Amino acid sequence: MHEPFWITNLLNHAFAGPVDGLLNLVGVHPDNPARPINDTFALEVLVAFCLIVFFAIVRMSLSVESPGALQQAAEMIHEFTGDQGEQIIGHGAERFQAFVTCVFVFILANNLLGLIPGVVTPTSAPVVPLGVACCTFLYYNFYGLKEQGIGGYIKHHAGPIWWLWILLFPIEVVSNLARVMSLTIRLYANMFASDMVTLVFFSMVPVVIPAVFLGLHAFVSLIQAYVFMLLAMIYMSIAVSHEH
Amino acid sequence: MLPAPDTQIGRKREGVSTVNLNHPLAANHREAGETMKKLQYLFMTLAVLCFAAPAFAQAGTAGPVNLVPIGAGVGMAIAAGLCGLGQGRATASACEALARNPGARAGIQLLLVLGLAFIESLTLFTLVIVFAKVKI
Repeated sequence: MHEPFWITNLLNHAFAGPVDGLLNLVGVHPDNPARPINDTFALEVLVAFCLIVFFAIVRMSLSVESPGALQQAAEMIHEFTGDQGEQIIGHGAERFQAFVTCVFVFILANNLLGLIPGVVTPTSAPVVPLGVACCTFLYYNFYGLKEQGIGGYIKHHAGPIWWLWILLFPIEVVSNLARVMSLTIRLYANMFASDMVTLVFFSMVPVVIPAVFLGLHAFVSLIQAYVFMLLAMIYMSIAVSHEH
Repeated sequence: MLPAPDTQIGRKREGVSTVNLNHPLAANHREAGETMKKLQYLFMTLAVLCFAAPAFAQAGTAGPVNLVPIGAGVGMAIAAGLCGLGQGRATASACEALARNPGARAGIQLLLVLGLAFIESLTLFTLVIVFAKVKI
């Protein structure tokens, strides 16, 4: 059991009481009431806080004539997700761009945290990708319902031929629920497997070989963050598409 | 003037075999004895290695064989192999499509990455089951 991170100690010191109260409200009793927050959650909170600070700084120092480095980085990210959104969702992709950018940047930052030796990858605990997948699920269903109305959304799931709804409706419902599972497990298993592979090779040849697998971890992190964002956009485009 | 035939570079002589007569398995009396001796030594060494096989036998019966790790290994191997086949086909199609139409690079790249991620996730489901069922 490694010694806890300073961020975990800080958060537990500051917020142990309220977090305990909140958890007890929902019926969860932590093992150690003085430390209800564990490492992965503390790291997630740190990443989210740093991202909020980054966005706030960029927003406050926006300038057309002399963009700073942070603004150029933010513009790169914005252009990237905007391009992808236009390619996949077509027109009207701007309203979803904020959410998918957050998903992309959050997952990317969490994945890359695992490259630092000694720091656990937050996304290698199953609950973290589950959280992001649940948020994505709620988001695209909300927009699907809003765009097509409740009746329209259900009809959308019944498929193009109306009298096949008995067959198609269960398939669509199960497939929608399976999206949550597949998003979660894809991200979790990729990160967990990269960590595991690095550890295995570290235990065999501690000198140069693990660096190769850390490189693999970095590459896989990028790809998995991109794929998560891509899938979120595809589900969004399916949910709000009007196929008349 | 044409050069004389004997001074042409690289011309093969007619009627000469191109088989290398120094091949170790050729029925060449000069080398056959030495090759046979080397083969004899090799086979004797391999036979001696087989004498050690009883060392792998269990000392007495230790109960039924635990099949869970074996099943996990075989299952994971099948999943990874089939994933390799699927991703190979996807990549091959993408390369061919890109070669035919280099202007469609953005769309092809998008679909390729998406397809590869979907195929890989099926193998990762198997990995998760392995980790859930095998008590490491």
